[in-house]
Amino acid sequence: MGLFSKIAEEVPCTVEVSHRFESLHAHVRFNNGAVVYPGDEVLVHGAPILAAYGELIVEDRQATITRASLLERLWTRATGDFGFMELCEFSFSEEVTL
Amino acid sequence: MNAQNPDIAAETPIVPEIDSTATTAMATETTMLNPRFYTTDFDEMDRVDVSSIRPEWDKLIAQMKSDPNKGHFKKNADWDKIDWAAMDPKLRVEFIDFLVSSCTAEFSGCVLYKEMKRRGNNPDICELFNYMARDEARHAGFINDALREAGVAVNLGFLTKAKKYTYFRPKFIYYATYLSEKIGYARYITIYRHLEANPDQRFHPIFKWFKEWCNDEFSHGEAFALLMRTDPKLTSSFANKLWIRFFLTAVYSTMFVRDHARPEFHKALGVDIEWYDQEVFRKTSTIARQVFPIEVDIDHPRWLPNLRRMRDAFGQMDAGKRKGGVAGWLGKMVGGAKAATAFVSLYTIPVIKREPPKNVRLEPIY
Repeated sequence: MGLFSKIAEEVPCTVEVSHRFESLHAHVRFNNGAVVYPGDEVLVHGAPILAAYGELIVEDRQATITRASLLERLWTRATGDFGFMELCEFSFSEEVTL
Repeated sequence: MNAQNPDIAAETPIVPEIDSTATTAMATETTMLNPRFYTTDFDEMDRVDVSSIRPEWDKLIAQMKSDPNKGHFKKNADWDKIDWAAMDPKLRVEFIDFLVSSCTAEFSGCVLYKEMKRRGNNPDICELFNYMARDEARHAGFINDALREAGVAVNLGFLTKAKKYTYFRPKFIYYATYLSEKIGYARYITIYRHLEANPDQRFHPIFKWFKEWCNDEFSHGEAFALLMRTDPKLTSSFANKLWIRFFLTAVYSTMFVRDHARPEFHKALGVDIEWYDQEVFRKTSTIARQVFPIEVDIDHPRWLPNLRRMRDAFGQMDAGKRKGGVAGWLGKMVGGAKAATAFVSLYTIPVIKREPPKNVRLEPIY
């Protein structure tokens, strides 16, 4: 990993989107066990996966993981904590006026 | 980690960009939310050792495994029909904001918990996060259904957009999600009890589900309380106590500002926002004595006046943003400075010292 350079990896993945009453979720599983680190970027290829209500879609796709440069990784690790309020639930959006 | 073991596939859940576009003539708004993707120090999570709290831990996990709320999130005869078209438009906008934000929060919780489950190698941690992810996905599905009735469709076609991963240290996840889950419990139970006494103000059936719902939030909070107990430094070192104080002040004041920005919602429920928020703070602070060595003094003479200042400052910043131009920019800056001053004043209110009990576990009693 270079200080500034980024490396892109092509990874096969399985996408699961559940748009059902009993569960609303969406996941991407990297089939080769690839791991995402701070600052990395993930792009799933192909058309948007649109699950209609009641539908569960499981599809094999390709994804590109663009690895963060060393500097970006360190920066993300150092500053990520400041976004902690995103982890909190307040029932309402941050918009002051709707 | 999974990288060293290619046989195990790493699954990475993703936070959705919920694009609620109008599907009926009634719904006209589009709500776009910026998704974030989290990662944490999974090696540190793997090192968590629950042996010092094993009996309490096993009891909590057994309770989650038994899934007491499995049958709860179903629509039955109690789910009254709502005439959305007849709802006051201002109330409708605020209530939709409530549903969309809550749905996204549940979904984001699911994503975070699932991520921790999939990337971890610590069986205790993985089991816990698996159950919590299950609950959150279930809650999200339930709210989504209420949104559909209102003519708001949730678009899950976000997966094919580029997503960047940010980072939180595990302790930040503990503090933030512990507080979030316990505040969630206090918020829901306070509304539930209020509507129990004033059923005529229940303008939507979803509030009837809040009691069992918030028990899930409560037990998730219990899990984070136990996790914090596995490393006493997390709640006892000087720096961490300052962090806890910061979290409490930031979360309480944000809640105050956001609730006051939704007057129609609270008016329809017949709830005085200041009373409600103080009530939620009081319950949360009482519960948080189980693990935090300090408590914010919400009866201090500086508390409410500075929360109100903060609320007004946010209003001023928003007005400036809307106005635009130099005058708008200036308004935003002045508002920002006022908010910062109010926050400092809140943060420096002397805290109440507490001695967390030997046994950390609590039951929901409100």
